[in-house]
Amino acid sequence: MKVTVNRTTVELFEGARSQHAVLRYLVHRRLGAAKLHQGRIYDAYGHEIGLDAPLREGQIIKFRITK
Amino acid sequence: MKKLLLTLAAVCLLGAAASAERKEVHILSVNDMHAKIENMPQLAAIADSLRGLYPDLLVISAGDNRTGEPLNDLYEIPAYPMVILMNMIGFDATTMGNHEFDSGAEGLGKLMHMSGFDYICANLNPAPEFGIYPRATEIFDVNGVKVGFVGAVEVNDRMTPDTHPDNVKGLSFKPVLETLQQYKWLRDVCDVVIYLSHIGYDADVEISKDLPWVDVIIGGHSHTAIDGGEMHNNVMITQVVNRLVNCTHTTITVDNGKVVGRKAEIINVADYPKKNAVVQEVVDYFSNNPAFQRVLATLTAPMTSYEQLGCMMTDAWRVETGSDIGVTNTGGVRYDYLPAGPFTVSDVLRLDPFGNDTVQMELTGQELKDFLISISRNDTYGFPKVSGIICNVTMDKKDPEKVKDVKITWPDGSKFDLKKTYKVVTNSYSAAIADSPRKDQGRNLNRTTASIIQEYLEHQGKIDYTGVCNVFQTVSKK
Repeated sequence: MKVTVNRTTVELFEGARSQHAVLRYLVHRRLGAAKLHQGRIYDAYGHEIGLDAPLREGQIIKFRITK
Repeated sequence: MKKLLLTLAAVCLLGAAASAERKEVHILSVNDMHAKIENMPQLAAIADSLRGLYPDLLVISAGDNRTGEPLNDLYEIPAYPMVILMNMIGFDATTMGNHEFDSGAEGLGKLMHMSGFDYICANLNPAPEFGIYPRATEIFDVNGVKVGFVGAVEVNDRMTPDTHPDNVKGLSFKPVLETLQQYKWLRDVCDVVIYLSHIGYDADVEISKDLPWVDVIIGGHSHTAIDGGEMHNNVMITQVVNRLVNCTHTTITVDNGKVVGRKAEIINVADYPKKNAVVQEVVDYFSNNPAFQRVLATLTAPMTSYEQLGCMMTDAWRVETGSDIGVTNTGGVRYDYLPAGPFTVSDVLRLDPFGNDTVQMELTGQELKDFLISISRNDTYGFPKVSGIICNVTMDKKDPEKVKDVKITWPDGSKFDLKKTYKVVTNSYSAAIADSPRKDQGRNLNRTTASIIQEYLEHQGKIDYTGVCNVFQTVSKK
């Protein structure tokens, strides 16, 4: 399943959640997995979504570090 | 003067008649509560408070009431605490979320029987053998206003909701839009029509253009924090983020049988200053559940290292899922000592507390090797714990945290073929942080890793990990 986080496309297991996409993005960008809890996740419309939000193929999400 | 008084009286009567026709429907809705039982006393207080103002308040859930909190999910009857608390709060209806199926059809049937509220889900066919009789629609009379609900749960390409396939054995589902269109007649018999949805925000926006006969979509599944209600194609959509952080209070104004106003506001549940004391008592009871001291297996000798406990965890996942190899990041093993004696449910939840899902993938030997190194690089706790194989790891002398090489063998010492493909099971965290190249990213088995450990311990009865070690580390000479 391919998902885009902050314009970076990451490939994940089927049934992955928003936190998994952000974790992969963070390690891909060498920012460190621990940053997951220092930010917020938003959908393509700009709504905040939870860490456990289910994802679908091709979904676009954004992660913003807030702390 | 007499004429003036009569005119005034007539105007007053007309005004009264007009206001008698204009009525309000109030709905308190939540979605994706995921068994956040500690916030239920606040939700109950909010419902109590709104009922004081609006006695005909409807309390509605858009599904995924359960799964996410061991106190609820590992109860003797899984999800029983949430059902009881929802009964106490006075929920009127819920739709099915994909997680409502997490204890299988039989488990769901039992829970439905205990529920004092309706399950509205038009695209789930009744399954009498399990006692599952969902309602496609429900019409509530709210102070003389007819409020019709139709519900639906998301279905994937296999035409089932996202849960472990075993959980929906014996159940059948129908496509969402096609099914919903069969209930357009609700518009003719109701003043207000609400679609109770568990298909996610994007899908709700998309489907709204095909449902002009719906006034409001109360949504769930995508855990989307909408600030009140949003209009899309003249349908108002509401949804809040998961785990009872917030709820939505929707007000629908109806004048002479027509909807003339829709508004929704968010109420913060987590920080709500009041709690319903009776609901709190019940939450406390569930929180001190003796079931968590239930003995799953007996440890015949103490477990004295992260390695031993990691070996046990990964053995559990490997054996119970029929995989060849089990892997966990070392940070996923939360303690390094357990005395001989009973191994309880509570011990498992302390050992593996993150609610990780179980992921199975097919990897070649080389991909597995890269996967292990990648976890080691991205998890600050070092090289992962494994089951089914032995890893001889050489750390870089110049950078002791960096893996220089890994030699994999089978436990009997025989050669491990790097070209062959193996079934590998891991937790969702490890699958996410390992960014090594591989053809198969795997699939979520929709079971928590902790629940699989419990199953393994129950199957084993007695366990002894004295001297067990699957990862040996040395430092390179150069």
